[in-house]
Amino acid sequence: MTAVLTPKDFATATPSWWCPGCGDYGVLSALKSALADLGKNPKDVAFVSGIGCSGKISGYLHSYAFHGVHGRALPVATAVKLANQELTVIAAGGDGDGYAIGAGHFVHAVRRNPDVTYIVMDNQTYGLTKGQSSPTSQTGYVTGTSPNGHPEAPMNGLVVALAAGATFLARGFSAHPKLLVELLKQAIAHKGFSIVEVESPCVTYNKINTYAWFKENTFYLDETYDPTDKVAAFKTLIDEGKMPLGVFYREDRATLEDLALKDATPVVKASLNGDLSRFASIQDQYR
Amino acid sequence: MIVNSIEIMFGGQAGDGSLTTGDLIAGVFKRMGLEVYTYKDFPSRIRGGHTNYVIRAQQRENYGMADMVDCLVAFDLEAVEAHIEEMRPGGFIIFDNTSEQIPAEIKRSDINWYEVPLAKIAKEELKAEIVRNTISLGVLGALIGMDPEVMHGEVAALWKRKGDKVVEMNVGAVIAGERYVKEQFGDRPSGYSLTKSVDGDRLLMMGNDAIAYGALVAGCRFMAGYPITPATDILEWMAKYLPRHGGVAVQAEDELAAINMTIGAAFTGVRAMTATSGPGLSLMTEAIGLAGVLEIPVVIVECARAGPSTGMPTKTEQSNLNHIIFGGHGEIPKAVISPGTVEESFYFAALALNLAEKYQMPIFLLTEQALCQSKATLPLLEFEALEIDRGKLIGHNGHTNGNGNGKVVFGEYKRFAHTEDGVSPRVIPGVDGGMHLAAGSEHNDAGVITENVKNRAKMMEKRMRKLESMREDLPKGNIFGDPSAEVAIIGWGANRGPIVEALDRLAAAGTKTRFLQMRTLWPFPEDEVRDFIKGAKHVFVVENNFTGQLDRLIRVVVGPLEYMHSVRKYNGRAFRPIEIIEPIERALSSTVLART
Repeated sequence: MTAVLTPKDFATATPSWWCPGCGDYGVLSALKSALADLGKNPKDVAFVSGIGCSGKISGYLHSYAFHGVHGRALPVATAVKLANQELTVIAAGGDGDGYAIGAGHFVHAVRRNPDVTYIVMDNQTYGLTKGQSSPTSQTGYVTGTSPNGHPEAPMNGLVVALAAGATFLARGFSAHPKLLVELLKQAIAHKGFSIVEVESPCVTYNKINTYAWFKENTFYLDETYDPTDKVAAFKTLIDEGKMPLGVFYREDRATLEDLALKDATPVVKASLNGDLSRFASIQDQYR
Repeated sequence: MIVNSIEIMFGGQAGDGSLTTGDLIAGVFKRMGLEVYTYKDFPSRIRGGHTNYVIRAQQRENYGMADMVDCLVAFDLEAVEAHIEEMRPGGFIIFDNTSEQIPAEIKRSDINWYEVPLAKIAKEELKAEIVRNTISLGVLGALIGMDPEVMHGEVAALWKRKGDKVVEMNVGAVIAGERYVKEQFGDRPSGYSLTKSVDGDRLLMMGNDAIAYGALVAGCRFMAGYPITPATDILEWMAKYLPRHGGVAVQAEDELAAINMTIGAAFTGVRAMTATSGPGLSLMTEAIGLAGVLEIPVVIVECARAGPSTGMPTKTEQSNLNHIIFGGHGEIPKAVISPGTVEESFYFAALALNLAEKYQMPIFLLTEQALCQSKATLPLLEFEALEIDRGKLIGHNGHTNGNGNGKVVFGEYKRFAHTEDGVSPRVIPGVDGGMHLAAGSEHNDAGVITENVKNRAKMMEKRMRKLESMREDLPKGNIFGDPSAEVAIIGWGANRGPIVEALDRLAAAGTKTRFLQMRTLWPFPEDEVRDFIKGAKHVFVVENNFTGQLDRLIRVVVGPLEYMHSVRKYNGRAFRPIEIIEPIERALSSTVLART
């Protein structure tokens, strides 16, 4: 490993299964840059994803990568971090993976505050199953499963995360690479659970939330915004105007590992043979 | 006079203290040098509802209940009404008649009645309502001819941790009970006598504790679970002990999270397990398939209870065998091992962890409520002799946990390399050069997702080959009885106890039998079963379910056998020996087909 890392150090030779023009390319490339900029060694990165177009990303990142089942990336990532807190643990999923099937895990991972970075690649549709509505689809969105228009209100995952006690909250846009790299770097560097929702357009199925739509309907928080003010974060996120981008909230709070692990030694390096006299003293209680 | 053989049932409302008192007397009997088995039969509620706790003590080994109850300690009338029919003629009932009386119509004349106002004595004489149960121990002790000194000594020892005052109060309560018997019933013997013999330095342990303890000693350092009866004890035990040994236990938000966390920890290189029961297993099924295809070593303890759906959470059943073996979409290698005693539970937990890592697949430790929540006496455990075999693990450099400590070279290392035994060298995050994708979708030997037809077939074969490679490492069944007997019995799990007892009694009545306690249920030990039933004219498969799941499995694998009979029980309670003896005798004396 060279002393200075470049995004290429995190690249695999695996050919992509994403459609040309997919927003997910922007997420992948920003992630590689962020990891390189932070000087992370691929051997110390554990990357976990679920299923769907977003889930494919684990195959394109040169690290220890885990492609699990739909919606369950966060329990896996939480356990990886508990098992070895020396690893940089990143999880990624889509709006369906994280906010639908994995919604329960999402809320509880946030609540536990493990030092895990969670990237939600939001395209407001189910891409890999050919364009059905998702939890973040706009009301009225017409798809195969919503032929008369999606009758539900979209879910605001960041508000849910904030309510559940997220300690780092950001939103980026996959077509704004520089800013996205910056958000991801801050999220990965944050000690605690960090969520970065990335608006990542689906060029094949979502004809509403297009690149042009996001350029038109988003804005970046300016320097006057105070990301330590939780009430301001809520207000900003529930505002019905244009969609805000940037870091909404950050807070220092003890992580799950801080509280659950009694030992500085990672669990994976704990002695397995243990102390026989201590095992014997357990047995004595049953004598 | 019946010496050193008794089955006592404590019955009352949940919260009355039947379980605590039962535990206490179980401890006393163990200290007296007797063999003890306990069986909890409690409702799925916290307060109220009839609860009972069976404690069987005798000189000879026993891992199950007797045919009938010798002594019922009834804290209320409901307990008498519920269990009067299970009483052995000649047995006796201790009844708290403080506020209720026994109606004449249920008062069987072939049992002895000892009515004692336990609550009244506790309140008026001892000024402590809490000792009502301990008074019943004094009454019981006096009625079964126990040496008072032994009883007082043991009660004092059991309460010692709580301080002198508590010891004094409880010994006082025992004495009050003994005195009441002397005053009211004189030296009228109950017909039972329990005497102290040598305490051979043994343990009294619950099955779930043995599993957790065995796993800890064998290097389990991560557990995730979701509370569910009757498996919760394992998570609670681990939550107490894992942090003290460098590990961590997590109460997950649900079973899906629990199994995925277990997989995540195992992927990271920690020996990891989860424990659940039927409904939880259903939820875990998705991720168990993932562990199979990712070749990640996880141990899933299944503490079976009565289903389907939420069924009867606190009752025993063996109806999840089909689910464990055949559940899940697609096909993965997995193994199912099942202990028949508390002692085996300890060693099987350790074995499961070794098998999981050696063969990199999900291993099920299958037990059921009648074993996992029962206590039994057992010899001291030989934990010093336990070997930890981590298989083909390439751990951190200088990391002493792995017995494979080699280096890996990126570009050359293939996580899912094709090998003769189907097991590929496993590398964990943090090891340089081992970076790879663990993909739940079909992948090639390097972990790259592919739907190539040749690769698919080869990968399936590689994974399933492990089932053959592991055969020698799987526990063989235990064989009991007369090897030349023409009547063969097959069963697993908690039924070992009542079946072994049935063998002796069938033999005494002139029917020679042999019994195979299956300890590996999957991959199905075809040769073992075939060898065992060779020469048998009748085969009886004993199990706690309605459809005869093991019976059917044997018919499918070994062949249709018209001389096979299924002995089934599915009312939520464990077999009593007579419930095995009678159907066998009935079948043999009728015109059922025998192998000719």
